[in-house]
Amino acid sequence: MRNLASLVFTAGLAFLLLVIAAQLGFGEPPMRVGGAILEQAPAEVGAANIVTAVLLGYRGIDTLGELSILFAAATATGLVLVRGRKDCGHGTSDPPGGFILRTGADLLFPLLLVVGFYIILHGHLTPGGGFQGGVILAAAFFVLVLARPGADGSGGTSHTAIAFIEGLAGAGFIAIGLWSLWDGGEFLAPLLGKGVMGELLSAGTLPLLSLAVGLKVGAELAGLMTQLAEQPAGPQHPHPQAEDRGS
Amino acid sequence: MTGLFSISQGHSVLPVVLPLLAAFLMQPLGRVARPLALLLGPATLALSAYLLIRLWLAYGDAPYALAIGGFAPPLGITFYVDRLALLFATAVPVLTLLFWSRGEDDADPLRRDAVMLLLAAAATGLALSGDLFNIYVFYELVAVASFGLVTLRATGAAYIATVRYLLLSALGSVLALVGIAIVYLQTGTLSLAQLAMLAPDALQNPLGLAPFALLLIGFGVKAELFPVNTWVPEVYATAPTRISALLAGLVSKLAVIVVVRLLVLAFDGTGATQLMLALGALGFVTGELAAWRARDLNRMLAYSSIGQLGLVFVGFSLGGTAGMLAGLALVLHHLIIKSALFALATRWRGALARLTGAARSAPVSAGLVVLFALSLIGVPPLPGFWAKLLLVLGLVELSTPLALGALALVLLGSAVEANYLFRLVVRLYARPDDASTPALPKPKLLDFGVASAAGVLLLAATVSVVPVSGWLRGVADQAADRAAYIDTVFPTTLVQSGAR
Repeated sequence: MRNLASLVFTAGLAFLLLVIAAQLGFGEPPMRVGGAILEQAPAEVGAANIVTAVLLGYRGIDTLGELSILFAAATATGLVLVRGRKDCGHGTSDPPGGFILRTGADLLFPLLLVVGFYIILHGHLTPGGGFQGGVILAAAFFVLVLARPGADGSGGTSHTAIAFIEGLAGAGFIAIGLWSLWDGGEFLAPLLGKGVMGELLSAGTLPLLSLAVGLKVGAELAGLMTQLAEQPAGPQHPHPQAEDRGS
Repeated sequence: MTGLFSISQGHSVLPVVLPLLAAFLMQPLGRVARPLALLLGPATLALSAYLLIRLWLAYGDAPYALAIGGFAPPLGITFYVDRLALLFATAVPVLTLLFWSRGEDDADPLRRDAVMLLLAAAATGLALSGDLFNIYVFYELVAVASFGLVTLRATGAAYIATVRYLLLSALGSVLALVGIAIVYLQTGTLSLAQLAMLAPDALQNPLGLAPFALLLIGFGVKAELFPVNTWVPEVYATAPTRISALLAGLVSKLAVIVVVRLLVLAFDGTGATQLMLALGALGFVTGELAAWRARDLNRMLAYSSIGQLGLVFVGFSLGGTAGMLAGLALVLHHLIIKSALFALATRWRGALARLTGAARSAPVSAGLVVLFALSLIGVPPLPGFWAKLLLVLGLVELSTPLALGALALVLLGSAVEANYLFRLVVRLYARPDDASTPALPKPKLLDFGVASAAGVLLLAATVSVVPVSGWLRGVADQAADRAAYIDTVFPTTLVQSGAR
């Protein structure tokens, strides 16, 4: 009965959405705000990549909100994991990764870091930016952790360092915003002059914001991974529900 | 350059940003100086409340808009600060401080504090933001932070309730996002003020009402709206009672305020109000009937909260200043009373049967419960009576078949409400069946203080009903003024060309 009701509900909702979609004028969107931003962004923000101009300039506080959502998810996961139940899991630790995997991971780690930082620092010039680069930075640490499923699960990365990078990067984003406020402008108004569009040092504070976003996202995901991989003293696994909650 | 101690309109962003900053710094500070980190949360919230009160005193008369990042609307994100926004923004840090966790659920206090701060920041953002997508971002932040907080008791039941809440909330978020996408496709803007200008042409038609319905259901998950409130009883019964108090008392109201802003600005006088009226009336009567059957104090309060929020939606659906006034009166009334009742319930959670004779061991608390129950039912001259009277008068004045049907449901629900609340009161003063039942613990001093303060506030509002309603009418007038919203965000008519 319940399944039938869900089926009817889903079918009804799908039908409704399809009817709405059929009525919408796809292909001729009113470019009210979009068009204005395309026109004004290069002069107003000075970033060659307009997407970054929107993310970190026009809608900077949205990006701060998104960062906070990621942070909230990671912190909430930590809250659940800290009480990892002792009755589930039986200490079956993963087999060691082996020489080839470990060496490969060691080789890959610096390369991934370089790519990550490149994408972060060129966010205002080319497609990419803090979120994308941050995920690549995190992937570098994932590789380390996965190649060494050790007892501490951290793959040699330090929790304290991750916590500091994560916290200070987030605080840095807000500090840049507050700097504008203190300087007499509005919160998160771009500072430092726009420079020559297309150069690495241009678009004012945007590259700094991008760096803060990248470091925060990277540290957040790396921290989440080490938390999930961790097997603290004794046979203990994270509660299964905990893993859904991070996503 | 602004001085450190002078206040300017630009500081309106600080109550959102400072809690975020504190949340980010919590872990690093905790590793350097743990006692300081434990103080960071309350200190930040106190500072936010102080800033908001100063903003209120300095700029509370006329609404103003704040272009974040200095980007003029509609390109940038705007915060719109009127008395309604200030009222709820101030309520956030104050109530979060009052319900700050003290000593319980202490497996990881730093993480818990950080999530509480995130919740406070996002809730303040919901009150202030004037941009549809920015509201969605803050709404998501509220949702994710609340997922973490409601699992704090770490029982199996809490985890199950949270997963259900998570799924329903995700469905709501997706629906709201689809609604926002349709609005953007129809209008090409996300700024609420510009939406208000474009709405008569672009949104007040079936294709515009569809996204309103999606947004109503989407934001309705937090606002405990009728079909999407099934998470409420389980979560409030299994979460720490203080968190339930925050979610029921405050966060639900902010979701309502978001919907009301949309209604006033873009959908006034359309079929949107009828949808809200119908869902609200159904929510009221179903919530009260479920509360009547509940056998557990937290569940009873949860169902009653669903019912009261249904009533709030009915109030706001009346439209115009009258509807805004009725809705606001109900919102504030419920905010004070439900927070206080949950504060009393911190030590009384569990089966209602345990409360038999509780008046002996805690006479003042029981007296407060009686006062709150009477006001909830709407016994004159308590404020609850005036709030319900405004609602009933508004429904009678509309006298469409739908409004009269809703009126019948409201009266029926109120009768049910009176029945179960009187049953609770009688139980509190009954003689215990068994002399050996252990006396219930008294509420903790601070929770008791919160409840007493709410009681005093309620009585003060009772004796000064005329000035309070006059002040509330001022807030409602400002909040219902669509033209003022547009003029404040776009001070010159030049904008219309700039916005193209």
